[in-house]
Amino acid sequence: MPPTETLRAGGGSEREQTYIIRQSNKCYEHRDSQATAMSVDYTGQWVLLAGRGHFALQRLGQDDGTLRRHERQSKYEVSVAEFAVCPSSKEYCAIATSQHIDIVRWGPAEPFYENSLRGHTRTVTDIDWHGKNPNLLVSCSIDTFSHIWDLREPRKPALSLNAVCMSGATQVGFNRVSGNLLAAAHDGDLRIWDIRKGSCPTHYITAHLNRVHGINWSHRRETCLATASQDGTVKYFDVCNPRRAEKIITTLSPVWRARYTPIGNGLVSIVVPHLGRGENSLLLWSNSKQTDPICSFVGHTDVILDFAWRPNRENFSEIELVTWSRDRTLRVWKIDDTMLKLCEPSADEDEETRYDDVPDLPATTPPEYLCPLPPRNGSLQAPTILQPDLYPRVAASLPIATGDMSALPLARSPTTPHYSFPRKDDLHIARSLTDQPTCSLHHEFSLLNTNMPHVEVDILDAIKRYACFKIYAGGHTVVLQVTFPTSYPSPNVTPDFQLCQGTTLSSDVIAILLKVLRTNSLQRVKKSRTCLEQCLRALVVAMKKSISSGGGGSGADKCQLHLQSPRLDGALSSALHDACIPFPRTSGVHFNAVGMLTTFAQVLNSKRLTLRHHQAYTPRTLSAINGSGLLGNVMGPQPVLYPQRDANASLYLQERMITGKPGKNRAMQKAAGSSPSTPVVHIYDASRLLHLNRQMAIELSLDKQDIAQTCRQNGEVCAKYERYDLVPIWLLAELIATPHVPDENKYELLFYKDPFKKYLLESLIMHYATAGDVQTAVLLACLFDKCPSGLDSLDKDSLLNYPGKLPPQLTSQLSPYHTVVPLDFKSSAQVRSVSGTWQQLKQLRSNSWSDSLDWVDVKLFQADAYACSLIRRTKMPLFDQFKRVYADVLFCWQLLSKRALILKHTLYTPPPAQGVEFVTECTGCAKPKRTPKCEPCKRPVLYCTLCCLPVTGEANACLACGHGGHIQHMLQWFENHNVCATGCGCQCLQRTSELLEHIY
Amino acid sequence: MVSLLHEIDTEHEDMVHHAALDFYGLLLATCSSDGSVKIFHSRKNNKALAELKGHQGPVWRVAWAHPKFGSILASCSYDRKVIIWKSTTPRDWTKLYEYSNHDSSVNSVDFAPPEYGLVLACASSDGSISILSCNTEYGSWDAKKIPNAHTIGVNAISWCPAQAPDPAFDQRATSRNTAVKRIVSGGCDNFVRIWREDNDRWVEEQRFEAHSDWVRDVAWSPSIGLPRSQIATASQDRHVIIWSSNADLTQWTSTVLHTFDDAVWTVSWSTTGNILAVSGGDNNVSLWKENIEGQWIRINYESGTAIQAKQPSHHPQIQPHPAHSSDSEHSSNLSNSNLSNSQLST
Repeated sequence: MPPTETLRAGGGSEREQTYIIRQSNKCYEHRDSQATAMSVDYTGQWVLLAGRGHFALQRLGQDDGTLRRHERQSKYEVSVAEFAVCPSSKEYCAIATSQHIDIVRWGPAEPFYENSLRGHTRTVTDIDWHGKNPNLLVSCSIDTFSHIWDLREPRKPALSLNAVCMSGATQVGFNRVSGNLLAAAHDGDLRIWDIRKGSCPTHYITAHLNRVHGINWSHRRETCLATASQDGTVKYFDVCNPRRAEKIITTLSPVWRARYTPIGNGLVSIVVPHLGRGENSLLLWSNSKQTDPICSFVGHTDVILDFAWRPNRENFSEIELVTWSRDRTLRVWKIDDTMLKLCEPSADEDEETRYDDVPDLPATTPPEYLCPLPPRNGSLQAPTILQPDLYPRVAASLPIATGDMSALPLARSPTTPHYSFPRKDDLHIARSLTDQPTCSLHHEFSLLNTNMPHVEVDILDAIKRYACFKIYAGGHTVVLQVTFPTSYPSPNVTPDFQLCQGTTLSSDVIAILLKVLRTNSLQRVKKSRTCLEQCLRALVVAMKKSISSGGGGSGADKCQLHLQSPRLDGALSSALHDACIPFPRTSGVHFNAVGMLTTFAQVLNSKRLTLRHHQAYTPRTLSAINGSGLLGNVMGPQPVLYPQRDANASLYLQERMITGKPGKNRAMQKAAGSSPSTPVVHIYDASRLLHLNRQMAIELSLDKQDIAQTCRQNGEVCAKYERYDLVPIWLLAELIATPHVPDENKYELLFYKDPFKKYLLESLIMHYATAGDVQTAVLLACLFDKCPSGLDSLDKDSLLNYPGKLPPQLTSQLSPYHTVVPLDFKSSAQVRSVSGTWQQLKQLRSNSWSDSLDWVDVKLFQADAYACSLIRRTKMPLFDQFKRVYADVLFCWQLLSKRALILKHTLYTPPPAQGVEFVTECTGCAKPKRTPKCEPCKRPVLYCTLCCLPVTGEANACLACGHGGHIQHMLQWFENHNVCATGCGCQCLQRTSELLEHIY
Repeated sequence: MVSLLHEIDTEHEDMVHHAALDFYGLLLATCSSDGSVKIFHSRKNNKALAELKGHQGPVWRVAWAHPKFGSILASCSYDRKVIIWKSTTPRDWTKLYEYSNHDSSVNSVDFAPPEYGLVLACASSDGSISILSCNTEYGSWDAKKIPNAHTIGVNAISWCPAQAPDPAFDQRATSRNTAVKRIVSGGCDNFVRIWREDNDRWVEEQRFEAHSDWVRDVAWSPSIGLPRSQIATASQDRHVIIWSSNADLTQWTSTVLHTFDDAVWTVSWSTTGNILAVSGGDNNVSLWKENIEGQWIRINYESGTAIQAKQPSHHPQIQPHPAHSSDSEHSSNLSNSNLSNSQLST
């Protein structure tokens, strides 16, 4: 088909006519091609058309219209194909199909598959070659990752950029100037990465309200890029200033691509008409003028799928545009010098606007502003290139975004006269002061998320400076009108909030809500920040809270399963939500408190899962389970990216488990050997790994009648349970227990002072504790521990001593676990009176079983206790901790008496329960006594107020007046009375309960 | 050294995600993608004693409370709920409390040391951590939230053991009541964070940055009283890292335990805190032990001896001694898939 070379020049200049209309210079029709991706190679000679069935190469220089076709077999569409952009690798191209990227080298006759890059788990959506390094390319995918591949090491990505976000990446692009920056689009957001620092993005840009379809970096300014979005805008961003777009082009339809012209100051966009109706326009814009396009290229009858620049390697001032459309024609358009010149800002316009508008510049200016980079093709635009971006910047501050031209005069005229033009040095300071209100309000509106849950935007009027919202939350409606003063958002100027008619809330709730709005706005405005969105969100939260606290009706609401997180409300499906939930565990292991191990492992059902099996590791997110997420019709108004996950379906297990009858199958399975997919849990006893042995715990003795003998016995027990390693330890312990001096029993303190034994014992205990053998450590510690009572009892002295055995023993017939090791009679007799010790000892012993040692009394004896123990006092708290851990294990084994026995050896019990304690005072010596009798004074301490007899058993007393007595008598008395029995007039019952109230 | 006691066919209709024995080792709780939690008698291979239904999605994890509070079990699920169950008899379970104040799947639950009372920490994919404490007297529950604990999501949580009293001379001054509560959490931002309760608020005390992918499990080792603390973290990046510190929990050092073949999902410490069990995406279970030189060695579950030395590439300064491996012919994984009864039962 001969190309129709019809050039219809629009007119003399752009001032008379809005824009030039131009038809293609060449047209190649390929009716049978189903190509979905197109790319032009480095030389500009070849165009690759890649589709499901074949690749085809079209030579552009020769007009024969024939294709070099190469069949391929694939059930997937080609999502993107890109020729390398470096001259050294010009015959290479990357073609992405489903999750793989094939690197194809075009030889003279055949394409060679050089590599297959596998690393993505979902459809690859875009590829971009590095502009400088021929071995590098980046690919992005629905799996949210952007992988940078080095073709010298194609097995895995050289760098994986993990976006950590819920939406897949749709576009990716290397910076054209430095190649160090990389932009990836995730839904409406951009993430800017520095590939030298791949751990997290350097910038986040909330670019658009809807999906970004195209990213293109500027060819001359390192930090600038343009984005095209579903929301019908093209935005120019400077990544140094990610908060707002520099310029915005607004169209009525979604923009599919926007690319800078490689030379000149233009940008070409593809607009996709809604529902296939309307013009399939391909427009050339000047970067300095966003209101009207420079040129429109007409000819395609269907949606333009992609376009590329065809570089002219001879004449650098001329470029051609190659487009591929769904109407299956490949068209070539020449962009000549005149058109490029129209893209340049005219010099006079440049002059006048510069002085007018520089104070209005929003926010920060990139460093390039002050020292522009030298242009690549300097000869072309030599006169204007000095400040090429100054004028466009001014234009960006105009509120073109809404297409509301009436905003223009208001935007510029009233505010600018207030400011004189500052010198460039002052620009930085000036900027913060002159943040132009209208523009920022406009900008705030344009960035406002209109899809906020519960919020409906009624009116956003940047000119009249007000906005109306309807907020539905908790079954109520609020109609909110926000009026913005002209100086907003300068410090302390907050917008006015008003709740209008239609609000279904009571006035007191309204007052609360208004307060919330004001405090929130003030917080933001203080820092000269915009506040609208924060206020709306705070309002929704406050409404929910106040309404749910007010009424009980929220219960039913709570029970409902909200399948969508608030963050994900809107078009995103729950599958996206799964992207942040970890992949379910198929195996696990768990220790319980006594060293029992539970394990399970199942094999995933590969049939029902579309997991990739050549993939190295298990996926990390739950979303990997949801079928294959092929990029659907992204060009539709509501792209559906992922099939809905059926939450109820059993996704993992083999069919057998779902369909079969478990009982029957189990029998079969047993015969065939255990099937790995059965959800079976194994329980192991790993306690021996932990050196804990329940049987040994039962048999190991703590009998202190003859410690050496006990050690020998324990050694035998260890041998019996195959703990041969412990046999020598107990032998050592036996030696420690054996006295070396023949008469050592007479000099008992000498024995306990033996430094060698002390340190040997301590290091043994510490060794076993650090090695994890608590059982051995605790037994050693207990056996050589002395109980803090440390007192000999009177009756024991009369009993016979066992000469030659140490320590001289009390033979406790009362308790087989008696652990009170007595002191020598002489030493104890010297210290205190016999009768007194007996009394106290009795009390101690009864208490030691119930974990609540009486500290006041114990303290008296501690000095003795430490003196006659082989364990140093400093180590005692630590050893007690070991004992408590071991006691817990015994508790779990339900060896309760063994546990109590171990706990008897602890000194540091937890403090007793806090509460009111009843202490009586001896009338003779005025000392508080806990015993019924004062030992030194030899008199009872408490007499009952009713029967006047000494109280020895249960007693109770009034907390206010202190009168009391036998509990039985008190009960009887207060059944009928409420005043004290002594006649003191105290309202005992009432006063006591009052006092108790104070305490608790 | 490790003997198989029982094999329990859970008869869950879908994948099992967690199984835990209670303190006594008598009851086994399992949870599954079929939305149910089942209770088994661990000594008998019988049918389930009870099936707890209340979740509407896969149940990720179960946790037993200390028996001093009664027989209490907590479960967390994809359906954003945490349910605390209580039983009077092993067959008879009732819902004690249901917490549904998370915006996304709740991935992990862990009960606090019993010294702090009945307190439960929950980690959710909405990025927050909830601390639920029960007033056992009135049976009321109080929830505290750490919002934005980890961006994208919190995957795992574990409590610091209750602090032992300082080994000072005056044992009464250091009251155990004032012990500081700490939790460690791991999340999708690849960080491990330690949180400390400070006047009713939870503040971030430490942040560990060593994993290069999502942290899947964290476990604070139980303390037997020695002045040291260890935390094991498992990650999608196939590493298990042991973080150790002295008693004051300010200086932490990390050691890579091992690089596994696949993502690591679970780490669990033994009571004595010296053996670590690890399982992951390759469905293998391995047991690790720190030897006296501070190296982590993999232990043979039959003999309890080392079967694999720690990879010598990491931290060469920490291990001056060459790794000595023995019994390599015995090296077999404690893998359930190829585990036969005859192999293990003794």
